[in-house]
Amino acid sequence: TELRLSHQWSNNDIRHKVAQMVADEVAAANVDLDIKIFGSQSLFKAREQYKPLSRGQLDMTVLPLSYAGGQQPAYNLTLMPGLVKNHDHAARLSASPFMAALEEKMAQDDVMVLVHGYLAGGFAGKDKCITRPEDVQGLQTRAAGKAFEQMLAGAGASIASMASSEIYNAMQTGVLQAVNTSSSSFVSYRIYEQTKCYTPAGDVALWFMYQPLLMNKSTFEGLTEAQQQALRDGAAKAQAYYLEEAKKEDAESVKVFADAGVEIAQMTPEDFAAWRELAKETSYKAFLEEVADGQALLDLALAVE
Amino acid sequence: MDPLLLGAIVAIATIIVLFSGVSVAIGLLIVSAGFLLVFDGARSLELIPEILFGKLDNFALLSIPMFIIMGASIASTRAGADLYEALERWLTRVPGGLVISNLGACALFAAMSGSSPATCAAIGKMGIPEMRKRGYPDGVAAGSIAAGGTLGILIPPSVTMIVYGIATETSIGRLFLAGVVPGLMLVMLFMAWSIYSTWRSGDTSVLSAGSYSWAQKFEILPRVLPFLLIILGVLYAMYGGIATPSETAAVGALLCMMIAMIIYRLWNPRDLWVVLRDSTRESVMILFIIAAAGVFSYMLSSLFITQAIAEWIGTLDVNRWVLMGAVNVFLLIAGFFLPPVAVILMTAPILLPIITTAGFDPIWFAVVLTINMEIGLISPPVGLNLYVINGIAPDISLKTILTGSLPYVACMVLGIVLLCLFPGIATWLPDLVMGPSL
Amino acid sequence: MSGHSSAAAAQTGSNPFLRAVAAISTVAGWCSAAMIVAAVLITCQMIVIRYVLNGSTVWQTEAVIYLMIAATLLGLSYVQRLRGHVNVDLIPLSLPARVRFVLATITSVLTIAIVAVILWYGYEYWHFAWERGWRSDTVWGVKLWIPYLAIPVGFGLLLLQLVADFIALVLGIEKPFGLE
Ligand code: NA
Ligand code: NA
Repeated sequence: TELRLSHQWSNNDIRHKVAQMVADEVAAANVDLDIKIFGSQSLFKAREQYKPLSRGQLDMTVLPLSYAGGQQPAYNLTLMPGLVKNHDHAARLSASPFMAALEEKMAQDDVMVLVHGYLAGGFAGKDKCITRPEDVQGLQTRAAGKAFEQMLAGAGASIASMASSEIYNAMQTGVLQAVNTSSSSFVSYRIYEQTKCYTPAGDVALWFMYQPLLMNKSTFEGLTEAQQQALRDGAAKAQAYYLEEAKKEDAESVKVFADAGVEIAQMTPEDFAAWRELAKETSYKAFLEEVADGQALLDLALAVE
Repeated sequence: MDPLLLGAIVAIATIIVLFSGVSVAIGLLIVSAGFLLVFDGARSLELIPEILFGKLDNFALLSIPMFIIMGASIASTRAGADLYEALERWLTRVPGGLVISNLGACALFAAMSGSSPATCAAIGKMGIPEMRKRGYPDGVAAGSIAAGGTLGILIPPSVTMIVYGIATETSIGRLFLAGVVPGLMLVMLFMAWSIYSTWRSGDTSVLSAGSYSWAQKFEILPRVLPFLLIILGVLYAMYGGIATPSETAAVGALLCMMIAMIIYRLWNPRDLWVVLRDSTRESVMILFIIAAAGVFSYMLSSLFITQAIAEWIGTLDVNRWVLMGAVNVFLLIAGFFLPPVAVILMTAPILLPIITTAGFDPIWFAVVLTINMEIGLISPPVGLNLYVINGIAPDISLKTILTGSLPYVACMVLGIVLLCLFPGIATWLPDLVMGPSL
Repeated sequence: MSGHSSAAAAQTGSNPFLRAVAAISTVAGWCSAAMIVAAVLITCQMIVIRYVLNGSTVWQTEAVIYLMIAATLLGLSYVQRLRGHVNVDLIPLSLPARVRFVLATITSVLTIAIVAVILWYGYEYWHFAWERGWRSDTVWGVKLWIPYLAIPVGFGLLLLQLVADFIALVLGIEKPFGLE
């Protein structure tokens, strides 16, 4: 049997390696199961993957789940400011009743999770450091994710939307003064060349995005018991690897920025609390208005120690 | 089935379908649907509308109509004639002065239009009748305009550069800059050939074009001002921190429409509609091909053909310049038959990894690719510029246009060779303005 | 030579059906052009908001994208009527008139078939988005059935124009591939 996996990243990206690991493990298990990986958006565009996945036209994908927030508004909680504090907290969140509730939502779309994983990110400022809400006041900012746009707008930033490939030029020409995105994007788009100050994900970080390896549920259930087990085994191994690499990625981005002579700023627990208060008034509030059972889900997430 | 063999079958089927006279976009959809149906099952057809929509769901792509409107609105005024006349008054003593004026006008116009046929039409409407009146051979008149028009996609803004930037995720601002010096280089080569051929023919009748006093020469200069205004305005918006390159397209379109209406008094709704109609027709045609080429590349990828070809070429142990030569021949042949956007979208996913693995710069390659596409625009069977010339001067035969443009094709090939020898021609300006490439 | 023509719009003769379809396609073309103009103005407005007023631009990018997609899809039938979809007519040109007619019939039927397939699944996709209440994943959160509507409408109009062209071909009002 052949399964098709689609994602948007290049071959040296950690998310590709996670997918490759599952494919290799399954192949090694010798259960007549072959996972074909279509990377770099060669099959579907990044944001066009969830729909074919839920309709069974695509078998597997590695996807920032919030991309599908338009189909299931509850997913917006997987990219919510201040909900995740650090990578270990993220791992506990993945195993919590909160995630179980989200997986119920996924099941409605005939989707299930094979590998859980969060990646972190930070802020880059063209002319100054961004650690507290006051710092973004009046800056043209490009944020990754709807909830962050709402929060940054609440802090008085001006929100500009553009493709990630335009960020570099926009920073250079001054169209943009601040950027919020993932550690790996900061490095791959060489944002450090246009930045004065970088605020990475550290002991506390604001920006965490849930990017699991998903599979179509019916397709999974249609496999033999041995095939399902091989997938589960491969996924378990990949999940441990994903967590370790996610931590390394933040440290690597700091090194790249520091080597480029960029100032590195740290967010203190007080800064984090200030952002979270702001988020409660803006993005949390907007989320609760949009999702009927939003409060219950949010409580579940906040309950995770 | 072996994906490489399947790829060969797809190639043959595509050629047959596209040669049957069906429109290019629909032909790509027919081939894609046919192979998806046979090898991926009927359910894969469900995805076609979704892919069509998804391919168009891109802000940068949608600046294409705006860059087309820029050229079309100015082309509908007498601005082209002014520009043309100004150049002519200043260049009248140069051998082949009129051809040179035409080429210069094409180059300047190209800096305002993202489209090659639009550039060709704007200058050709004035230039071809004028050159024939002055005794230039039909072939020279038609050939120089056909070739000069192709500069529309090399000198920024450029529709093909936008499409390339999207397909390969390279910076459009950088690509635009990369086209400037090679564009000027081609203009120089074209001009050099024109001067040489006029001088060689020794036909003095085309030289006695009448002379202009200095008063006449200076009096016309203010009429070129709107052009400079537009070009500087767009450049300032693009590189001065006001807007991203794709957003700048709208500034350019609005600026051009306003200048056309205010300075050139293009008030009449009927005339305005002609501008919009022509821009809409060209934009929809291009965007539909882009969407259909998206379905085609989905099919190639889904059947693992793209990946298999890239892998296969990777295993070939050939010299990188042999590889580059082969790629050029392939692009040239593809360009004979298909419009540039279709070629870029169908081949970029296959070619780009090969090119970068062989150590070539993707920005530099965009320029080489564009010049190849330019050649395709003035060669049969699908040469959009040839059609435009045919519309302006229906009595000039295709054969005459072709023989007339052949020397200019040679200039373009020489341009590609020069680019290979001195890659800096393309990469120097973007590196200077935007720092070393990514 | 390529069939990208500015002069040779589809012939309607005095056939009322063909005239009606031509009129519908023309109106669609007007809508398409109007959407392009709207997109130009909105983009300029966005630049003013951001650069002059230093304000947030939340909805503009998305609105422009959807307008341009709709302009493309709604414009299909009009461009078909204007014979603006570029083709390679090297082989049709070299064929004798009878064979050329047969080839034109085959390509027309194939074209109609593929457009009908896209219309069918396009309608299904639109309906799915409408039924599920899909929205875009942005702050603006557009109901996706609105932009998706352009798929069935655009391809429906294109199908209509293609059927009209086919009838014109069979009735001899239009020459195969528009060639004399
Ligand atoms: Na141009
Ligand atoms: Na050609």
